[in-house]
Amino acid sequence: MEKGLLPELAPVAEGPCPGELQDFDSLVQRHRPRIFRFLLASLRDREAAENLTQDCFMRAYKARDQFRGGSSLGTWLMHIAANLVRDHEANSRLKFWKRKLRYDVDLNDVGDWMPDHQKSPEALALAREQVEAIWRAAASLSERQRTVFLLRFVEDMDLLEIAAVTGMKEGTVKTHLFRAVQSVRFGLEEGK
Amino acid sequence: MNPHLSGEQISKCLIGDGTPQETQHARDCAVCGAELARLESSFSQFRGSIRRWSDQEEHLSRVREVAAVNYENHLERLLIPASVDLPWYKGIVISVKELIHPPKLPPLEITSKPVKLASLRGLYGGHETTAGIGSVIVHVAVVALLLFAGTLKPVRQAMKEIVPIFAPDLKPLQPKPEQSKGGGGSPQQTAATKGELPKVAPKSFVPPIQTVQDPKLTVNPTIVAPELPNITAGNYGDPLGKLGIPSAGNGIGTGIGPGKGSGFGPGSGGGFGGAAYRIGGGVSAPVAVVKPEPEYSEEARKAKWQGAVLLSLVVDENGVPQDIKVIKSLGLGLDQKAIEAVQKWRFKPGQKDGKPVPVSANIEVNFRLL
Repeated sequence: MEKGLLPELAPVAEGPCPGELQDFDSLVQRHRPRIFRFLLASLRDREAAENLTQDCFMRAYKARDQFRGGSSLGTWLMHIAANLVRDHEANSRLKFWKRKLRYDVDLNDVGDWMPDHQKSPEALALAREQVEAIWRAAASLSERQRTVFLLRFVEDMDLLEIAAVTGMKEGTVKTHLFRAVQSVRFGLEEGK
Repeated sequence: MNPHLSGEQISKCLIGDGTPQETQHARDCAVCGAELARLESSFSQFRGSIRRWSDQEEHLSRVREVAAVNYENHLERLLIPASVDLPWYKGIVISVKELIHPPKLPPLEITSKPVKLASLRGLYGGHETTAGIGSVIVHVAVVALLLFAGTLKPVRQAMKEIVPIFAPDLKPLQPKPEQSKGGGGSPQQTAATKGELPKVAPKSFVPPIQTVQDPKLTVNPTIVAPELPNITAGNYGDPLGKLGIPSAGNGIGTGIGPGKGSGFGPGSGGGFGGAAYRIGGGVSAPVAVVKPEPEYSEEARKAKWQGAVLLSLVVDENGVPQDIKVIKSLGLGLDQKAIEAVQKWRFKPGQKDGKPVPVSANIEVNFRLL
């Protein structure tokens, strides 16, 4: 795994620091990209992701006195974000007419998000196909499976952290993650 | 034993949940290792694409937020004030309290001042005067046109309400209007008795008197009248009269009957009297002058009954309707109401040779619910 490539995770793992919550602005500055990324990947909707990022920090600010330091600040914020995603999914289940719109992310844009452009066109096209297949497979996952999958493979969290974020037991997390990976693998093989 | 890892096992290795043997195999076996590496590479691409997308969006939102410089208390300002962010039940309690004891508001402080507005003149590019005068001219012209149209003869004619008065149906045996005259006997107290009508002649030299005196020259008594159904009787009299003491009627003149003149029957002049004139042939139609509207009967109003009542009447020389009869009935008390109304009507009587004469006419009284 490419853990070394993720320097922005380093301060989050340091654990709660009392001064960090006092200086809320810098906390927002530091954690906002990660929260936004998770929400964006979960919802595939920029506006909703921005709103929920805002909500996430709002909730954190309101409840900053209740933070006991039982987990890292990053985990705590991610926990709030995961709850928000769940609420959002529940709400949007009622707003069924919006569902189509939400999953209508233009996969043609995926090419613009490809990491490195030094690859050969063939490799790039192959990588693009794979990424599209994973996007599609991830979109068809259940909310829990998708959250677990994204936390594991996008945010590079370990199982214990994911358990803390989602409030599930480690075994449950494993089960969800296993099913998610199986689905994505089938999706990838179908895409071949 | 399967030399390679199954799909489930590879998935388990991928999430870091593989057994030590499986992990070891994945490390040693080239095929399984390649499969695992391929999957990890795909996931890595996926992660990279999400990060890139997120960074792009983040960058865009930063660009949008670049104007917001002052960050102080921005989160505080986003929060709803505690006085507003109340649970619903507290809101209801407060509303009820305020309903019972309305809170006294502080006196209103007027913080704004009246401002003198710029004149509206000039909004229409200086054409206000022209437009105003033009508008007045147009209005005056339209009103003048309407007034002028009101003075035109055809319009005034059309504005006059015309009462439908028309001649009744002719009966075959009725005398012609020109012959519609009457006669009168020498004044006696009783009406003309039934008897033989004297000979009809253009001029009456000897009136048909009942008491015969010795004549020097016998001339058969005659009356001036049209040919009438005659009866054989021992005396002269009204063929339509009643039997009784011989009498020439209580009229004035040399005829027979209650009229005046040398004819027979009611009326004046010669001829067969009693019948009114009919419109036409030199007889003008009477014109209604006073015509009160008929009332609706209660039953007809309830039944929303509409229609017309056809009345026959005689307008006498004074313009008073007489002898009103219903020809076409409407029912529900409307006939009676129509008669009551027409009784109050007054006419300019019909004329013959410049003199008012009784004229029979039919009148249609319309009943319409609005």
